Amino acid sequence: MSMLKWTVRLLMLLSIMGLLSGCWDNKDINHRTLPLILGVSLQDHEYKIIMQIPELVHDSVEIKMISESGKTINQAIDKISVNLEKQVDLLHIKVIILERKLAERGMKDAISGFMRSEEISDKAYIVICDEDLNSFFEHLNKTNDPKGMTLYNFFEKNAGWNPQIAISPIWQVYRSVHSYTRDVAIPMIKAGKSTICDYTGSAVIKNGKMIERISPDETLLFNAFNEQSTQGKIEVMNHASVLVVSNSLKHTTSLQNNKPYMQSRLKLKVVILETRGNPTSAIIKQEIDKLLTERFQRLFSKIQKSKADIFGIGQHFRNKIPREELVRWRTDYFPNLQLSLKIVTDIQNEGYLKIRAD
Amino acid sequence: MDKSHYVMLMYLIMHLGLIFFMYPENIIASTDAVHWIAIVSGLAVQFIFIAIYMKGLNFFPGKDIIAIYGSAGLGVSLVFLVPIVLYFLMINIITVRAYSEIISIVFLANTPLWAIMILLMLVSTYIAAKGVETIFRTGLLLGLLFLPMILLIFLASFQNVDWNYVFPLYENDFTFWTRPTFYQSFFAFAGSFLFLGFVRTHFPYKDNKVYLTVLSLVPFFIFSVYVPVLTFGQNTASTLHFPYVVVIDTLQINWLIFDRITMFFLFTLITFIMLFTSLILWMTSRIVSCCKPSIKQMYYTQGLAVVIYILCLLVPDWKKVETLFTWNAPLRFYCLIAIPLSVYYLGLRSRRKMRHEHA
Amino acid sequence: MDQTLQDLIYKFEDNDDFFLQRDFFADRPVYLLGLKSLIDMARSRTFIHQYLDQAISNNTALSDGALMQMLGEVRGTNLQDISSSVYDGKFIIYFEHVQQYVVAEPVPNLLSRLFDTPTNENVLQGTLSSFVEDIDHNIGIARKQFSSESLRVKSFSVGQNQQKRIALLFAEGHVDMALVEQIIGQFETYIDHDINHIQDLSRTLGLSPWGSIAKFKTTEMPQEAAHSLKTGKVVIFVDRLPFALVLPNLLWDMFCLDNDHNYSLPLMIVLRSLRIVGVLITLIVPALYVALVAVNPEVLRIEIALTVAQSREGVPYPALVEIILILLILELIMEASVRLPRSIGPTITMVGGIILGEATVAAKLVSNLLIIILAATTIANSTVVGFQNSLSIRLFKYLLLLLAAVYGVLGILAGVVIICAYVASLNTFGVPYISITRMKERGNHG
Repeated sequence: MSMLKWTVRLLMLLSIMGLLSGCWDNKDINHRTLPLILGVSLQDHEYKIIMQIPELVHDSVEIKMISESGKTINQAIDKISVNLEKQVDLLHIKVIILERKLAERGMKDAISGFMRSEEISDKAYIVICDEDLNSFFEHLNKTNDPKGMTLYNFFEKNAGWNPQIAISPIWQVYRSVHSYTRDVAIPMIKAGKSTICDYTGSAVIKNGKMIERISPDETLLFNAFNEQSTQGKIEVMNHASVLVVSNSLKHTTSLQNNKPYMQSRLKLKVVILETRGNPTSAIIKQEIDKLLTERFQRLFSKIQKSKADIFGIGQHFRNKIPREELVRWRTDYFPNLQLSLKIVTDIQNEGYLKIRAD
Repeated sequence: MDKSHYVMLMYLIMHLGLIFFMYPENIIASTDAVHWIAIVSGLAVQFIFIAIYMKGLNFFPGKDIIAIYGSAGLGVSLVFLVPIVLYFLMINIITVRAYSEIISIVFLANTPLWAIMILLMLVSTYIAAKGVETIFRTGLLLGLLFLPMILLIFLASFQNVDWNYVFPLYENDFTFWTRPTFYQSFFAFAGSFLFLGFVRTHFPYKDNKVYLTVLSLVPFFIFSVYVPVLTFGQNTASTLHFPYVVVIDTLQINWLIFDRITMFFLFTLITFIMLFTSLILWMTSRIVSCCKPSIKQMYYTQGLAVVIYILCLLVPDWKKVETLFTWNAPLRFYCLIAIPLSVYYLGLRSRRKMRHEHA
Repeated sequence: MDQTLQDLIYKFEDNDDFFLQRDFFADRPVYLLGLKSLIDMARSRTFIHQYLDQAISNNTALSDGALMQMLGEVRGTNLQDISSSVYDGKFIIYFEHVQQYVVAEPVPNLLSRLFDTPTNENVLQGTLSSFVEDIDHNIGIARKQFSSESLRVKSFSVGQNQQKRIALLFAEGHVDMALVEQIIGQFETYIDHDINHIQDLSRTLGLSPWGSIAKFKTTEMPQEAAHSLKTGKVVIFVDRLPFALVLPNLLWDMFCLDNDHNYSLPLMIVLRSLRIVGVLITLIVPALYVALVAVNPEVLRIEIALTVAQSREGVPYPALVEIILILLILELIMEASVRLPRSIGPTITMVGGIILGEATVAAKLVSNLLIIILAATTIANSTVVGFQNSLSIRLFKYLLLLLAAVYGVLGILAGVVIICAYVASLNTFGVPYISITRMKERGNHG
């Protein structure tokens, strides 16, 4: 009896398997195309999508550029998929390039669309392209990289990232759209003459729109404030150039008369690379101090004017300002913020040559 | 022989499967800040009732809850056992349907829902049909295999956390008691402790160990809500479905062989859910088989499984699932409050009776 | 001539290896009976004559009764009794004048293998003796290895058509007597069933023959058997089967070898973890390939994903069919290499390797990543202790494969749950398969 029961059950099970004929999600990986880079631009109220597709031609891989336009991003991708012999899978998108015009118009919908989609990972980087998207992609195609990884490696911390490049995954941009106290800076690139791309600074994004631009050096300070490591950045002054080895930032905040005050202390550890003349370490420290402080003041006044809190200073006031008031952080509190930055430099070592301490 | 470790592990596994999915969303929707007050209140309520329940069970050593109600009379049994059966049935339907929907959304977009549900139901029925000892031992094996990974990912989810979002730490705001989403959040723990009354005969356990397990789950509850809040901020987190899952999606672990660990995290939790479903199914069929003990319990299990599957198929979309959630709430609170209290009361009464007999 | 003797001769008429000889022991006429194939007749006779000469020189007067007692066991004239003794390989001496039969122990023909090294199990730096076909030798080795007073041996003679000797060994004080009594009860109830192989034994003991996981642990090594006895298990010997059957088999036995204790503790832990990892790899990796390549490619890192896609260019089948095809060929090769005679074996293996390795990939029938995966799986499969266990695992991985093809990674995990549930539901005589804490005395880490 038990054997009969088990046979019946087994047959039922196998017959269910027989419905495998469609095998719904089963699609071999060589029937999918997995683009890494997605370019989005806005032309005449229609979204134009450009993708890089690797193709196998005579045992070698070639990169093809495919573009389509549609009323929404997904429609454009669907149109591409219709005309391609493989299924387009956005599962491995690592970098999304938005054209500057789109960023200035407003990316809130696009970003929400990316967050909502479960195909595109939230970790993908958003990058703004400073020039026409078509020409940028053509330039990309010329690099002989079958996997399309080069641009991604540009932003990867394990590979080619530098401290003055801002990193903005989708989820951080999305967070800045909804947050009371935080805005974000998105890196801007354009086609490079001998390298794959030229980093031209960062775009300050407020409420999904690009409102301001900052230079690469200023982005370094932005990274420092956001607790990214600035290790590896070289600063050049009049008398010496140094390599930053580590940095740490401490804040003290206070609220007086509804006006926020903040004192920050940036502690840098540097290593001397080259000197011009024969400076003492005191002079070098002074020069670094002056250089960074000036740069910081310039940057801070710029963003304070545009009321975009990319440093996330509002975060530090969360325990001082009640939540209902925090809604007005950007409009009321932030423009009145007094921020003083003190830089303390520590020369960790001087290399093989000695330097005077005076 | 003390087999409490089985019970502890089972309790842990069942709840881990439930915490990380819908609990954060519900709590984030119930209150704007100071989420920990909402979390701790809910957990305190649960703890109180578990304590009452276990104290009540202690009056009847070696008996399970069906025997306890049976000895009090048929009417009492009906009043209490029938809602339990209904509650369990609904929990199973909701769980299977909701989790199949989640799987379909996140990973297997093209697989039809009935196929996913059939997988869940078949595995759960298979485990349930083999009996409660199998369920607990499977729990032991699965715990050994998968708990390290879950803990690892849980610890890694702190990668993008900004502790400033914790503030404000205290606000005199108790409005969450009025929000329906707060009561929906009880799904994660109410009623799932009822199994303690069913397994006394097979797995004798010590009460202290159960309390310990309940307490050890508290950090998981707290951080399953706080990690999304600390990573995204309350505003952003309140716009998300399944905030904890989205947090896992933002993690970058470079040294792992695999890219999207969301998948492993989710699917491991789904295996825990399969175990949860099988235990609930077993309990339901246990109660139902008491009506007519001549048929073997295994057939009841299979029959109930078919019923649950068909009912799941009838639920068309996510909105309906949420409606089912709301319908289930009164049953849940009935089970949460009435069952422990009734068991305790029956226990007191039987002790008084025994004292009278001795005197 | 005696009636019984006539009947005996008549009974063994068709057996040409039956001998009947006349002889004189101490001047008494006797008939010697026996089966030539089982007894070394010449030596037995010589031996008895020598023995008798020595006895007579010491003690001149010897009565019939005393003489017969000296030679062996005196039996009545029961035909059945005598003939079964003959079949047993005993030497029958019929004293004509008193008409009594004496059953003596002869010098037997050497029909069993001498002690040898284990053929199916390997040990590094451990005891190299192994069990052989003869049951008495086996019991002897077991006694030598587990030299304790608490060892008990119970014998049964089962079967209707043929009489097979079964021996049950257990260590009193270590084992749960309820278990032993259950087993003895089973043997006694089904004493008429023939036992020739393990399936028969399972049937006699009331265990289902359908289980995919072996209920007995079969081992050729005495130290394994001794260790099992010490930890409260029961050892069964069947005559002519050159291994010990240990009951009940537990999950942990799949990873534990008693020889591990010959290494230091960290090494032992590492080796055992390695075996566990091996089991997991062999179950999951083929299914993982199908799941990651066909259903859920987002889990792979992009570099691997693109490499795999490239390597699969031009392969005509979907991933599932590909992998089943190659697995099937692998299973065929493994089965064939057991059958082949030693002279042809290596050639076929080489051909098989070349076919699999080079030609299939070059002909674009399968991708080369797959070959690597399968090699890894096969190697991992063999790290498990116990050949029967590795067969069970080989079986389970197909289940996972099928589930993975339909459901992807979810299918793999569901398959793992099913296997865990199946394993958790097994029990032998009330002892669950996954119990780790076994009985009274358990070594520290055993």
